[in-house]
Amino acid sequence: MSTTLREQVPSPLDTASDLTLVDRAADGDVRSFEVIVRRYGPLMRVYASRVLGSNDEMDDVVQESFITAWQQLSTLEDGRAVKSWLMRIVSRKSIDRVRARRKHANIDLSEPAAPEHQSPHRLAEAGSQTEALSRVLADLPEDQRRCWMLRELAECSYGEIAEELDLPVSTVRGLLARARKTLLREMEEWR
Amino acid sequence: MTSPDEPFVAFDLDSSDRELAHLAGHTIEELSDYLDRGRTPPDPTIDDSPECQIALRSLQRLRTVQRSLLSSDIERESERSDGWVRSVLQHINLEAHSGRDIPIEHPSPTARLVVTEGAVRGILRATGDEVSNIIIGRCRLDGDVSEPGAPITIRVHAAICQGENIPAKATELRRALYAALDDHTDLSIAAIDITIRDLYLRPATPPSESEK
Repeated sequence: MSTTLREQVPSPLDTASDLTLVDRAADGDVRSFEVIVRRYGPLMRVYASRVLGSNDEMDDVVQESFITAWQQLSTLEDGRAVKSWLMRIVSRKSIDRVRARRKHANIDLSEPAAPEHQSPHRLAEAGSQTEALSRVLADLPEDQRRCWMLRELAECSYGEIAEELDLPVSTVRGLLARARKTLLREMEEWR
Repeated sequence: MTSPDEPFVAFDLDSSDRELAHLAGHTIEELSDYLDRGRTPPDPTIDDSPECQIALRSLQRLRTVQRSLLSSDIERESERSDGWVRSVLQHINLEAHSGRDIPIEHPSPTARLVVTEGAVRGILRATGDEVSNIIIGRCRLDGDVSEPGAPITIRVHAAICQGENIPAKATELRRALYAALDDHTDLSIAAIDITIRDLYLRPATPPSESEK
C-alpha cells in the first residue's frame, strides 16, 4: 500500500516564502531546499512525465534538475522567480532526454521514438474530459506541446518561452495559437 | 451561428481569414489574452459578439478542464511515496555552498583549525530558528574572515511572522546571534545588520498543496 505518510514535522519553513527559502538554500540550508523540492517537485514531475511519457526516466530527470538547481541557486537573482526557473530547468533536461532517446532510436530503428501515451493512470480515468485533454495534448506536435506546457504549466511569458526554445516570439505565438485551436476543436467533440 | 453538428469554424487551423471573419475581427489568441486579463478593460467588440462569446465559453471550458487535469496530476504526484525527495537530497553536493575558511585559534602551534563560512551561516540560521516567529534568510559575512581579529560585519535578511513587533524581534535576534558567534567562533564582530525583508503567515495548520 502506498499509505506511507510523510514524517513531516510542521515547521515555519513550510509557510516561508520562496524568497526566504531560496536565500537560505543558496547559503547551504538543506532543509529549506527540501521545502522547495516538496513545493515544486510534484509539478516538475508532472511536467517531465508529459514530455517523456515514462515514469522511470521522469525520476532521473527531476532529480538531475534539482541537483543543477542546488548548484546554481546563487545565480538566481530573484528568489521569487524560483518556480519558473525550476520549470525551465526541468523542461531543458526533459528535452535533452528525448533527444538522447532519439539518437538511440536512430541506431535501433525498431524502437519507437514517441512517448507512450497510454500510461495506466490515464487509462483508469478514460472517458473523463481530463483524460480526453490528456490524450489530445499527448498527440499535439512536439513543438506545439512544448510551447503549450511552458505557457500553461510553467507559466512562462511568451518572451521566456521564445528564449527557452530559441525561437522568435512570433513563432511561439503561432505555435501556441495552433495548439490552443486544436485543443478547442477537439473539445467541441467531447460534449 | 454554427449548427451543433459542425465544428466551430473559428477553431479551424489553416484559415486565419475565416477566424477573423467569424470572431468579429478578433483571433482566438486575442480572446485568450482577454480572458487572461479578466475581461478588463471591457471590449464591446468582443462582449457584444455572439461568436466571440461562444469562443470565450470554449476557452473558459478548456481552462477549467486544464486546471482539473493539472490538479489531479499534481495530487497524484504529491501522494507518491517520499523516496524521490530523499533521493534528491542524498545526491546534492553539501560542499557546494561552504564558502571561505575561517581560522580558529588553538593552543597547539601545530594544529590548524578552520570553520567554513557555510558552517557559520548554519550557526546563524540555527540560532535564528530558535527565536520564535522569525526566519533567517540570507546571511553574509563582510570582511576578511581569514585574518584573525579583522572586523566582520554580519548582514542577515529575515522574514518575520505577521503581527510581531519588528524592532523588538530584531533586538532579540541580534542578541542571540552575538551570543552564538561568541560561543562558536573567534570572529570579531563589528556589527550585525538585520534587514526584515519578508512577512510570513503563522503556520497554524500544515499547508497542503493539493487543497486548492
